Amino acid sequence: MSEFLDTYRTYLPEWWGRLCAAVGVTIELSTLGFALAILLGTALVLMIRSRWRFARLAANAFVQFLRAVPLLALLLALYFGLPSFGVTLSSFWAGATGLGLQGSAYVAEVLRGGLGAIHRGQREAGLAAGLPPHKVFLWIVLPQALRIMLPPLLNCYVSLLKDSSLCALIATDELMLTARAMSSEFFLPLHIFLLVGLFYFAIAFPLSMLSRLMAQRLSRGRRSVGVV
Amino acid sequence: MDNGFLSVLATLLTGAETALKVSLGAAVIAMTGGLPLALSVVFTRIALVRVVIAVYVEWMRNVPALAHLFVLYFGLAAVGIRLTPLTAAIVGLGMVGAAILCDVFVGGLRALHVGQREAALAVGLTPLQSLRFVVLPQMLRLTLPSIGNYASQLIKDTSIASAIAAPEIMFYARNLVTSTFQTPLIYATAILLYASIVLPVSWLFALAERRLEARR
Repeated sequence: MSEFLDTYRTYLPEWWGRLCAAVGVTIELSTLGFALAILLGTALVLMIRSRWRFARLAANAFVQFLRAVPLLALLLALYFGLPSFGVTLSSFWAGATGLGLQGSAYVAEVLRGGLGAIHRGQREAGLAAGLPPHKVFLWIVLPQALRIMLPPLLNCYVSLLKDSSLCALIATDELMLTARAMSSEFFLPLHIFLLVGLFYFAIAFPLSMLSRLMAQRLSRGRRSVGVV
Repeated sequence: MDNGFLSVLATLLTGAETALKVSLGAAVIAMTGGLPLALSVVFTRIALVRVVIAVYVEWMRNVPALAHLFVLYFGLAAVGIRLTPLTAAIVGLGMVGAAILCDVFVGGLRALHVGQREAALAVGLTPLQSLRFVVLPQMLRLTLPSIGNYASQLIKDTSIASAIAAPEIMFYARNLVTSTFQTPLIYATAILLYASIVLPVSWLFALAERRLEARR
């Protein structure tokens, strides 16, 4: 065990800088993917809630389809498949686009759920008080819905952060690819992949906890099965 | 050699068998691991047990599955424990699944009102019987949607096993691309193949959910 840790002591100074640089790319990648997911997810929800039957059908089908396709297949199709149609994305942008598409389906579900959870009486009361519809949405429905949506949106970001590791398979220079390169360089895969896991954990865990705390504050004061 | 859609599909289908094995194997580990973990979290008074389980669950859930697979496949091999790609994929995804289902089941158990168990005990059921006949059935019904989500997530995640050379669908797809260069056709076929496996599974869960709702 101490031998195991000694290896870290020897190599960590050398590894640290490279992993920290790569973690920056991972965060950029997943944040960009998340921003795309929010944009596309919002568009999808607008379609799902629209008056046109066709828009609703198309958006619902798109969400269902995206949720049934593995991210890896999307990434490989975007990165290796699109050039055949004259569209060449860099591995970073292919990764961000894939993450954005994957995330958009999830974001759409969250937004739909959050908006649906607000009682229609809220909207009616706002309208009855004389507010115009867009103000009712902006100042009455949205703030209440955001409270409900924030924890699952945070979870979505954590998912995208973890999923961004798959971008290593289309050669995006992020954390996991760096780890693989280092592992074939130093022949210490166990050390390196555990350390890389710790890097992901260090970002993902606090965010997961924050999400859980926010969700708990929303549902306080219920006794349940079991102790405490 | 004809490399139309059908021949591509035939090649990818050979990988579907491995994908199925990985899904089923991992699901078994996830279920048999997740339930005891959840019951321990909810019913134990020993703080250490809860802490150990929490550390396991959080580690599994906040680190990418790909990292877990690399640790099991490349990492363990370096210290003399050689797993086959298939075993590493099943164990890795299964361990992640146990953590996910533990959280799901804990959520389900906590959502049940304490009166359910108290009433079961009050009418003379033993603690084990109250669990088996009152608490668990209700918990399963409550968590069915989450279990369905997990199931489709798991089938999709089997694609990651191609990164440790388990011969599943994406593995064959990537091999086929390097030998035939029909890149868009092959990946489109792979995407359709996954969708045609995952969609029926999620519809099945949705159907079961509606049936249970209707019966209440």
